[in-house]
Amino acid sequence: MKRTANGHHTARSSGRAGRVGPGMVLIVPTLLAGCDGRQSVLSPGGADARVLGDLFWVMLVGAVILWLLVNGLFFYVTRINRAALSRRFANGLIVVGGVVFPTVVLGALLTYGLSIMPDQRAPGEGLTLRVTGEQWWWRVEYWPDGADAPIVAANEIRLPAGQRSEVVLNAGRVIHSFWIPALGGKMDMFPGRETRMSLKPEAPGTWRGQCAEFCGASHALMAFEVVAMPPDDFTAWLDAQAASAAPPATEAGARGARIFAREGCGACHAVRGTDARGAVGPDLTHVGGRLSLGAGTLGTTLEDFQTWIAHTGEIKPEVEMPSYDYLADADLADLAAYLKGLE
Amino acid sequence: MNDTEQTGPSGPYPPTEAMLAKPVPQDEQDRTAAELRAAWEPPKGWRYPTAVNNSEVGLWYALTAFGFMLLAGVLALVMRLQLMVPDNDLISADRFNQFFTMHGSAMMFLFAVPMFEAIAILILPAFLGGRDMPFPRLSAFGFWCFVIGGVFVMGSLLFDAAPTAGWFMYPPLATQDEGPGSDIWLLGLSFIEIASIAAAVELIVGALKCRPPGMRVNIMPLYAWYVLVVGGMILFAFPPLIAGDFLFELERSFDWPFFDPTRGGDPMLWQHLFWIFGHPEVYIVFLPSIAIAAMVIPTVARRPIVGYSWIVLSAVGTGFLSFGLWVHHMFTTGFPNISLGFFSAASEAVVIPTGIQLFAFAATLIAGRVKMSLPMLWIAGALAIFTAGGLTGVMLAIAPFNWQVHDTYFIVAHLHYTLFGGMVFPVIAGVYYFYPFIRKKMLSERLGRWAFWLIFTGFNVTFLPMHLTGLLGMPRRVFTYPEAAGWGWLNMISTLGAFVIAAGFAVFVWDLLRPKGDQKEVPRNPWDAGTLEWSHDVPAEYWGARSIPHVTSRYPLWDDPKLVERMDAGRYYLPGSPHGHRETLVTSVIDASPELAQRVTGPTWITLWAAGFTGGAFIFPTFHMYPSAIVSGAFAVVCILYWLWTSTARPPEHGMRDAGLGLSLPTYASGPKAVGWWAVWITMLGDATAFASVVFGFFFYWTAKPDFPPEGAMHAAPAPVGLAVLALALSWALTLGARHWNRAGRVGAARAALIAAPLLAAGGVAALIRSVQHLEPTAHVYPAIIWALMVWVVAHAAVGIIMQLYCLAGSLTGKLTPRFDADLWNITLVWHFLCLTVLVACAVIGLAPEVL
Amino acid sequence: MTGEHQPRADEERREFREEAESLWRITLAPVTWVAHFVASYGVAAVTCAKAPGLLGAARIGLMLATLLALAVIAWLGWRAWRQWDYRNTGDYTNALGQAEDRHQFLGHAAVLLALISAIGVVYGTLPVLLLDTCR
Repeated sequence: MKRTANGHHTARSSGRAGRVGPGMVLIVPTLLAGCDGRQSVLSPGGADARVLGDLFWVMLVGAVILWLLVNGLFFYVTRINRAALSRRFANGLIVVGGVVFPTVVLGALLTYGLSIMPDQRAPGEGLTLRVTGEQWWWRVEYWPDGADAPIVAANEIRLPAGQRSEVVLNAGRVIHSFWIPALGGKMDMFPGRETRMSLKPEAPGTWRGQCAEFCGASHALMAFEVVAMPPDDFTAWLDAQAASAAPPATEAGARGARIFAREGCGACHAVRGTDARGAVGPDLTHVGGRLSLGAGTLGTTLEDFQTWIAHTGEIKPEVEMPSYDYLADADLADLAAYLKGLE
Repeated sequence: MNDTEQTGPSGPYPPTEAMLAKPVPQDEQDRTAAELRAAWEPPKGWRYPTAVNNSEVGLWYALTAFGFMLLAGVLALVMRLQLMVPDNDLISADRFNQFFTMHGSAMMFLFAVPMFEAIAILILPAFLGGRDMPFPRLSAFGFWCFVIGGVFVMGSLLFDAAPTAGWFMYPPLATQDEGPGSDIWLLGLSFIEIASIAAAVELIVGALKCRPPGMRVNIMPLYAWYVLVVGGMILFAFPPLIAGDFLFELERSFDWPFFDPTRGGDPMLWQHLFWIFGHPEVYIVFLPSIAIAAMVIPTVARRPIVGYSWIVLSAVGTGFLSFGLWVHHMFTTGFPNISLGFFSAASEAVVIPTGIQLFAFAATLIAGRVKMSLPMLWIAGALAIFTAGGLTGVMLAIAPFNWQVHDTYFIVAHLHYTLFGGMVFPVIAGVYYFYPFIRKKMLSERLGRWAFWLIFTGFNVTFLPMHLTGLLGMPRRVFTYPEAAGWGWLNMISTLGAFVIAAGFAVFVWDLLRPKGDQKEVPRNPWDAGTLEWSHDVPAEYWGARSIPHVTSRYPLWDDPKLVERMDAGRYYLPGSPHGHRETLVTSVIDASPELAQRVTGPTWITLWAAGFTGGAFIFPTFHMYPSAIVSGAFAVVCILYWLWTSTARPPEHGMRDAGLGLSLPTYASGPKAVGWWAVWITMLGDATAFASVVFGFFFYWTAKPDFPPEGAMHAAPAPVGLAVLALALSWALTLGARHWNRAGRVGAARAALIAAPLLAAGGVAALIRSVQHLEPTAHVYPAIIWALMVWVVAHAAVGIIMQLYCLAGSLTGKLTPRFDADLWNITLVWHFLCLTVLVACAVIGLAPEVL
Repeated sequence: MTGEHQPRADEERREFREEAESLWRITLAPVTWVAHFVASYGVAAVTCAKAPGLLGAARIGLMLATLLALAVIAWLGWRAWRQWDYRNTGDYTNALGQAEDRHQFLGHAAVLLALISAIGVVYGTLPVLLLDTCR
């Protein structure tokens, strides 16, 4: 897991420069195919997104042709040949161009669109994820087939590759929307109402998902990492997630655990296997193994942990977690060591 | 109906060529012109704001809406600066959220819809050879409401208190929002929505009843057809939003949990009500703008429009189909696929009438000899942009594709393409086209081209890349984004483009405002157009039409070369104003045969007072100052009553009037011949739609929630509900009776009925309140919606009571007589609707729990 | 309403008199589309919310509703076609100012609206044909 974590970038502090420099601005066609695909509809990694990607390209080609025809016609009659042309042709144009042709084309497109809908939301094949949108993070529960208690995590989605997993969605106080462009379409999350979807990553990979429904001040900072793993790796990972937190392995980590307890972090956060049982904020039992902090906002270096704990409010406006900027740098370093050690 | 002989028109109609060819003596021409000029002169100096002429009010309306548009544009520029580079901190998240909320809200509610109303008020009477709108004071009232509401809502930005939940205000985010932002949005914009409905009433009646004689429905200008369709759409689209606002504000103010899922409410109801408004709204904005194109294109092609019937079909068809699209804004809310499919289908179907419209334009240009002009350049730009927006719309209507790009920058691109192409460009084309009609000067050809190419290029540079930004995963409404996302370069391009658009608008505004004193006044028909507005007077006169012509073709100025000369001579109808009144001609709906010389209202302060107090009634509750709001509301009612009492449906001094060409017309009408009756009818249709939306809410909860009504819930007490129905129905019957008895000359019986009816209505209201008193509306949505229905009925019954007393007072003071009884006809109509409302509401309150 | 007018110079033929016309009539075909649309959405929504098992029956009902709606629209369209009277007059524009032109114009517009409404109804049936679950 650590390998995956090191192998990519997330966001503000640890993000590397985008692949696209200003000099490449004009080379749009190449970019269309080659853009950074971590959050892109155009670089599908899931079965559903692939179908929708094909649908898009078909529609795009059709749209471009139709746009050229219609505007070419207007250009021709206003610029190139302004004389009065046949009235008969004009009437025929309304009937054929306005009624017959669009009725057939749109009817065909509609049939195509409707016919791919059932597969898009096919039932899952085993694993069920329950994701709850909070302000502004994601509560995640894994329910393997037949499980009677969930394995709780947060702010990250892992899926077995090649399988269709069921995703059940819900929300805390306000409406959010769950969207992983590379895997499939989005689905809104409502307080007091369950919605569902399913996702089928085709091969292992990592992508980024983001909240798509405006949900308050930090809506922009509500994202998550998505990892599709080979099924066996996934099972092993899930077993590890089910386990309680390991005790701190380093001196600094042990000091950090004491600070964690002293500052009352456990009132909001749970670290299974310790006294911290809060359910207000994300479960931190295995936070050190995740790929991002603050719901896709920061990376997970020790520095990122420190920055986050000391400056939550500045990084993420109106977030509920207070900024622990009064803690000494040494204390922050210890806390970071403790949390980073929770793998 | 034994006095119809006295009330109908008499004299020859239609006029013969011989009658029209007879010259008008010069001294009579001078005398009648002087009379008209005196009657229609708008007030000068400090009394200028009391003007109600459509030429003044329409212009104020348009300039105010344009001002709000520029402000909202500035908000957009600041947002573009914030998004120019990743991880930017130019403005805070909260301010960004205020800005995008206000950008959308202002563009929709303070620019797009009011701009349509403004343009229609300004030019519809001219298309119809009319003097003014049928209810000038109502236009003025609507305008002042708009100014007050708009300034209030936009002003909240200065106090950092603007709403932040987006222009569609989804609960629970918006209901939970602390601070007055959401209330400002709700109350400020509800107020403006009401002004929009007032304008719609005015425009529908204008298009149906104020056409010139002879202008049958098959030859009315296409613009009038569009206005008619759009007016009808407003009547069915805005009321659901008003109903939604009503529920929303009850939740905000009194904690009635309509959208709170913890107490049985459902935020989805708001989404339904909002988008039942919101999607037709897009077409409400689009159709009247494309109507401008339908007026410009025949002029450019120098021939009548090809496919007039097709365009009418397209307008009417779009009007209908646009009500079957709303769920395509909710494709990702988890409805069953089959439900989404219906909306997908309707969303594709609506493309067909829109396409027909464009092909009819193309056909006209093909069949004509095209003479390019600056307005046509803007129309061509509009088509290029709009077709692109329309084609992405076709994509978005396919639900599964929508699941991907919904709420991303792809949508931002799409909606700006449709609105710039479907509204902004055609409206600017209209400004260039109609400027000589309005100001009697021309705008600069050179500056106009500069503005066009700057805005057109800037627009595409800004919004074309946004399609890709969205496909690469950027959600809309984010105040920042990480560098690693790779969206930086696209956003940089969009920001640069936005400033090019701004430069184009700067050129346009300069052209509009620069002094043109040294420019010669334009010739009367600078574009060689064929429709009546180009019979306008240069230099300007305020009388609208010198005399109201008899029209026999779609392009009278092309087809009847003597028309303008005869209009100028006062040869046609109502050439003068012998009693110094403002008057306009009312004609029949289908064939526009003359029915009435309608007196219209003149300058007044009362509309400003009424608008001010109405504003107070809406604005005070924002700060929870309920007593002040109630006092202000009471003053508003007093002002409106004073206005109605002093200037509407007064018994005329002269029952008949010589309208010219030997035709003698009545000056007073009641019932279906009166424009007031039509206005009431149309208003009540809108009101009934709002009520239906609240009732829809009740049944929505039933389908959406398994615990509605919750088990063991208390219900309304059946006996008082029954009593309320009985009393209110009796009150209705007595009102109807009063109308009959009054007509029959039995004034005593009518007065007795008008005394008993309000007492009964008050009794009914008391019984209805009694029936729900034991329910606790804050506990659960079930008692809350029952209370809401009760409040709705009680408020309407209160208005009904005031109306009955108004007629009683009229009867006692001689304003209302057996012959002049328009008020009584109008309130009876209101009571028909009220009675229906009572029956439905009481059935839902009293019977539905048993049935469900 | 009638009788108070002077006899007119062009005494309009009885079938073209204004009172026999109504703008409402040209909207009948779109209203049929509205009814079909509301029925489709309402039936599907309530069935899926309250009794998903009955969706099969509901779909058959909706297909029958489509046939009914198309029959109504066809009848309205045929009547309007006769009112337009294109085959006798060959008049495609109805642009003149006589009662007859207005009468035929309203027929013409109604024919076209019937056409659009029929397309709308057919499109609205595609989901019923293609989607067979409440998912």
